[in-house]
Amino acid sequence: MKSLDHNSFEEQTRLVSRYVAGDLSRSERGEFEAWLVASPELAAEVEMERRLRRGIASAARRGWLKRPAPVETNRDQRRWRIAIAASVVLSLGVVLSILVPRGEPAVPGKGLFAAASERRVASTVNVRLGNVRGTGGVPDVSVSLTDAPSELVIEPDVVVLTCPNGALELECAGGSAPQTPQFVEYEMDLVKRHGETLAWRSSRQIPVGRTQLSFTLRQPGSYDAGDYDLIVRGHSPDHSEVVARFWLRVSAE
Amino acid sequence: MSSLPAEEIERIVAGALTGDRAAESRMLEALRPGVLAVLRFGAFHRWIDQEDLTQETLHIVVERVRARTIDDPRKVFAFAAATARNLALNAARKMLRQQTVVDSELVDELAQNMEMEQGELSDSDDRQLAHAVAALLDELPTERDRQLLIRFYLDGTDKQQLCRDLGLSPKHFDRVLMRARTRLRTIIERRAPHLAFLPKATSILLPLAMSFTFWVRHFGF
Repeated sequence: MKSLDHNSFEEQTRLVSRYVAGDLSRSERGEFEAWLVASPELAAEVEMERRLRRGIASAARRGWLKRPAPVETNRDQRRWRIAIAASVVLSLGVVLSILVPRGEPAVPGKGLFAAASERRVASTVNVRLGNVRGTGGVPDVSVSLTDAPSELVIEPDVVVLTCPNGALELECAGGSAPQTPQFVEYEMDLVKRHGETLAWRSSRQIPVGRTQLSFTLRQPGSYDAGDYDLIVRGHSPDHSEVVARFWLRVSAE
Repeated sequence: MSSLPAEEIERIVAGALTGDRAAESRMLEALRPGVLAVLRFGAFHRWIDQEDLTQETLHIVVERVRARTIDDPRKVFAFAAATARNLALNAARKMLRQQTVVDSELVDELAQNMEMEQGELSDSDDRQLAHAVAALLDELPTERDRQLLIRFYLDGTDKQQLCRDLGLSPKHFDRVLMRARTRLRTIIERRAPHLAFLPKATSILLPLAMSFTFWVRHFGF
């Protein structure tokens, strides 16, 4: 409590944000709530933070947000520099491979690069999954460690459209069809069944074209053989829920 | 909604701790908005009757103050917050026990239905709020600030990452958030004042009724 009394506005802002996001530890939350009891004006700050979160999500859901173009940053500049350097090295490699007579040892890296590139293109596997899980004791997705793709792109058809008020109806007020995704964001977890351990979690994403989700699991061959649950979770500002669960089997053969 | 400054509330609670009955009544009024906020913003908000539990919390607090087992106003605040939280937890547990449902999916569905029933914003309010936020984003002076808010609140990008990506100091980040909140409040107060802090008639009437109850109980009118 004492430590909170003399906080700057910035510190207060940070704590309010973390409180609303549910990021405070148990003791921090207790301390914050004692502060809330002592300073009712803080409640208005918390309320406004909640409004801001909900308002942004709602505006995004309604398509009213103009997604800003990425601001060029130091990080971007670094990436450009790396990309230019890589291009120069590649060009030098190509020039050398042309100038060096055949029969001489090949320029190291050239063949490898081409092979890797082809393999990348050839080894991306797309899987579309219906919203009803497969039955009959067969995994929804199977990957063999001996022939695993470098990327497994999973496109689950799980986004339910609702009316603007969030109601699950066949027809909304005014006769229009439901057009609002039930959740603002979705994410996918890969959970190993043995031990219930989280093996991978995707970043959150907003459905494209209202219903399309696409999660890319890189290097599925690097996971241990066994059965996994692919869990799709929907998130809205004040609620999250598992919306689908699929079965992935990584086999050793 | 009371807007007493924190120092004033602390002074009132200190008065109540000395056994001053008038200060006790004022304490109930002063603590009520904060206790209600703890219940409204807590994890169990959709499972509980916030008004009922606020009253129950204040009853327990006043009994404890009268028992003179607390000597510091700050401990009263912490006690009130912890009591509110525990009562909310118990109420939620009781509510779930009363449901003869053991299927977790059905419990989830039940929770969803309750949330829809108790949804604090109508579609019209939700639309107004979305409009206000869209206006706020349009008003922001730089593209960077816009990107900060959208990536922080919508994409869930963490603060450190955003500061790195956008070349901001953590202090600057907090200032953008604080200004956005202040500005949103101004826009909402102008366009849809009822969304600023959902007042309820009971917020005013209940503390008065409670104070009267305690007054009558003590002086025996």
